[in-house]
Amino acid sequence: MKLLELLKDGNFEKVYIFDDTVDIKNGYIGDLLSEIMRNAPAESVWLTHQTHPNIIAVASIVEINTIIVPEGFEFESETIKKAKENNINLLKSKCNIFKAAGIIYTKLKEE
Amino acid sequence: MTSESNKLLEKLSQFFSNIKIGEIMTSPAIVVTPETSIKQVKNIMKIKKISGLPVVKRGLKLTGIISIEDIIKVLENGKLEDSVKKWMTKNVKVLYEENTLSDFMSISQKYKFGRYPVINNENKVIGIITKYDVISWLFERLGTMYIHDDRRKKILEHEEYTSRLTGELLDNKKISFDFDIDYTEIQRIGTGATKLKSFLKKKGIDEKLIRKVSISTYEAEANVVIHSESYGKIFCWDFEDSIRLLIKDYGKGIENVEIAMQEGFSTASEEVRSQGFGAGMGLPNMKRFSDKMTIISEVGKGVIIEMLFYK
Repeated sequence: MKLLELLKDGNFEKVYIFDDTVDIKNGYIGDLLSEIMRNAPAESVWLTHQTHPNIIAVASIVEINTIIVPEGFEFESETIKKAKENNINLLKSKCNIFKAAGIIYTKLKEE
Repeated sequence: MTSESNKLLEKLSQFFSNIKIGEIMTSPAIVVTPETSIKQVKNIMKIKKISGLPVVKRGLKLTGIISIEDIIKVLENGKLEDSVKKWMTKNVKVLYEENTLSDFMSISQKYKFGRYPVINNENKVIGIITKYDVISWLFERLGTMYIHDDRRKKILEHEEYTSRLTGELLDNKKISFDFDIDYTEIQRIGTGATKLKSFLKKKGIDEKLIRKVSISTYEAEANVVIHSESYGKIFCWDFEDSIRLLIKDYGKGIENVEIAMQEGFSTASEEVRSQGFGAGMGLPNMKRFSDKMTIISEVGKGVIIEMLFYK
């Protein structure tokens, strides 16, 4: 699935888009950075409540191409800056993390 | 002082000829007033082990100098009860604190006195300078230089780190990548790991291997920043058959490595935990993603983590 697919029906809002045609093959949810590194697959979206700049380093190490925060969360400005430097897409969801994950999961399954 | 040592002093002084007298002099100087008795001066010299004293009036204004040579004259021709005023040398050669070491050299060659009072623009005695002051200052300087050199030599001589994993030497000259870990900002965690990742990518190393190496580096880097309270270093050797990592810090060390290795064990603060660190998975992750790993640590002596990844 292309990232564009997620942006279609208004559930996700762009914060910073490096490339909306990147392939999303998988996803992962979590707030513990070591756990993310241990288990998150490459070419995936990462749903998290963490908004600080370190998530960019984690994402680029494990090749997560898109980070999504749920409703009520905002990326720190330094995080957005780092995302630009490291070519990571940032999205905000209009739903809570459970619903957001459900939407993405369904879309990936439908493929 | 012999002419040999004078020559040496002259030679050494050339290197420091622009050094200000104010830096070398003994300050404050021990002084006496013109009314002091020769007997008292003799006692001061004996107790303080000095050979001459500036003679000052009110406000430390220089009026003369009384030296061991003058005392000898008193012993030959005068009385110990006489006042300093009667026997002191009135025509005093002085130096100013802004004068340089080369000024001292030329004045002392010209007049051959043992000591020169150092005065400021108001003729106030602020110190005294002798050849002894110059020599001890020079030795101190040369001593520092020597220590620096010695330290450098030590580092240079220990060019390799002996791998605790394989017993072979890891040559400093063959380091493929190195990075200084800035421990002052938690936000900087991962800078070294991401740099190493792009370095390895450029070298065309297998993606899966890069992932393992960079995750392990990230964890080690995070530990340095969060726990060590010291700066650290990342070294990476890219060998034909393996990638070797060495992450060092100079901080507080690990009290019990066995406990620290346990999954879920962490000493991280709440604040750090709230950011998703300190889950107690750092060391276990390194162990998991590397093929071989070892930790060398002692309380107060920093941590060295060595990891090996087969290609």
